[in-house]
Amino acid sequence: MAQIYDYLVIGAGPAGMAAAIETSNAGLSVLVLDQASSAGGQIYRNLGHADKQQTSVLGSNYGAGKPLLECFMAANCDYQSSVQVWHIETHTKGFLVAAIVAGETKSFLTSHLLLAHGAMERPMAITGWHKPGVLTAGAGQILLKSSALMPKEVVLVGSGPLLLLLAQQYRVAGVAIKAILDTTPKSNYWYAIPWLVAGLTNPMELFKGLWLTLVQRIKIPYISGVSHLEVMGDEQVSGVKYTVSDRVYNIDCKLVMLHQGIIAQTQMAQMLRCAMVWNERQQCWQIKADVMGYTSIPGVQVAGDGGSIGGALLAQIEGRVAGMGRVFNTPVVSPWHKKWVYSWLRFRVKQLRWARGLVDRLYRPAEWLSKPADQTIVCRCEQVNAKTIRSIVNSGCAGVNQLKRFTRAGMGACQGRQCGLNLSHLVAQTQQRPMAEVEPLSVRPPLSPINLGQLAKSLRL
Amino acid sequence: MSDFLFNHLLDDAHQCPIIVNGVACQVPEQLSVAAALLYLGHLANRQHPVSGELRGSYCHAGFCFECLVAIDGQANKRACLTQITPNMSINTALAGVN
Repeated sequence: MAQIYDYLVIGAGPAGMAAAIETSNAGLSVLVLDQASSAGGQIYRNLGHADKQQTSVLGSNYGAGKPLLECFMAANCDYQSSVQVWHIETHTKGFLVAAIVAGETKSFLTSHLLLAHGAMERPMAITGWHKPGVLTAGAGQILLKSSALMPKEVVLVGSGPLLLLLAQQYRVAGVAIKAILDTTPKSNYWYAIPWLVAGLTNPMELFKGLWLTLVQRIKIPYISGVSHLEVMGDEQVSGVKYTVSDRVYNIDCKLVMLHQGIIAQTQMAQMLRCAMVWNERQQCWQIKADVMGYTSIPGVQVAGDGGSIGGALLAQIEGRVAGMGRVFNTPVVSPWHKKWVYSWLRFRVKQLRWARGLVDRLYRPAEWLSKPADQTIVCRCEQVNAKTIRSIVNSGCAGVNQLKRFTRAGMGACQGRQCGLNLSHLVAQTQQRPMAEVEPLSVRPPLSPINLGQLAKSLRL
Repeated sequence: MSDFLFNHLLDDAHQCPIIVNGVACQVPEQLSVAAALLYLGHLANRQHPVSGELRGSYCHAGFCFECLVAIDGQANKRACLTQITPNMSINTALAGVN
């Protein structure tokens, strides 16, 4: 009989690490499964092995993860890296998590589950985004963090803090940034003004953000108010076409990096049938959860950017709160702890979430980006363009899941991760329904492709 | 298609031998397979099964499945989630290569 863990954490980013530390210190048997080859999540990716030159380029927020990482490595919990979770289901003993570890199928049992799998970048479906030479800004940062690789020359396109941070890191590393094409709508700056009050509750981050924004504007060719983007080129990228104030411009380049914020990952929670909500402020689906991270399914919690987007510090606090929530009704947590530490952390979660509102409003994606042109490929895996999707939706398609059956959009290898949100947008626009009414694509096993041999072995515990 | 569009940050990185489409190459250690392909100038690593258009790695985080290549004989592996090892054999899925 396989061991039944008290707590299984998916993801070893700030939230997962903090929760694992909290619960293993309380004496629970904890298992952490992570997709990456070393702990840290996307923010502290490869921090344990990064070279000095890399950490100096990546900046202070990257190095700030060291104490947490060291504490996690010293914690008394089981940790497995390079694990691909492909299925989760409820089980008489709690939950069964099926994964591929070093090419072999393994199943794990747990009584409680924490989803700390983080977020992904919001797909930016512009014409030509599928051509070789188009990457995401997140990809650019991953290349820098784990492979110390950087482009010689690049054009950065989109909106959001990560794009500016990458510009800063690339500039320090000596990359020639040909231009930043900023898609942030100018009206966002006005709408964000009332949120400055919220931002002021986190003054350090606000100051850092302002500095980051200003420096890039001074040091790099910075073009704001960009719309109608199109990546040019036959077999690979040759340039970007864009419009500013009704005038069309071209910029030659071979590498483009796109970004328009990040969105929560919901696949695993959806597989467990956790309730979802549409977050209007963050413009994405998210897992419905209370302050302790408990979802609508008893025993399943969520913490960090996989729940609501808030950045590394908030994720770490949420992870701690989730871990504390797991052991809350045991004698391990003293009344003093319950009264003061827990209340303080809860307050910090609420405060930081409120402060995040400034970033959410300021970098809210431009509306035209959710209305791809007819020839734009929306589903990259199955090569389905917006025209096909619109025509099917117009002929009375009930929603995204029916749309998937008619067009194959969302049926490919990425399982709708890159097209799901845009399919929902297209259905909502064409049928003039609010996004909250259009349900997201359903998720089915396997969460990532596995081969038949692995599937056949998966039934043995 | 072998424009060298990427640089390695560290000048003194140890080199690791790998085999790409049957050709022996040297790349810095600690690269993912997808990073190694970019470093060597392979922006495209496969052809789309429906349209035949070239595709290359996109998200480098395991979400998009654009970076599928054959690694040590196993087809459809995500290059971005696999670290290179000495003498690893990588085959891109482009017509006329395999």
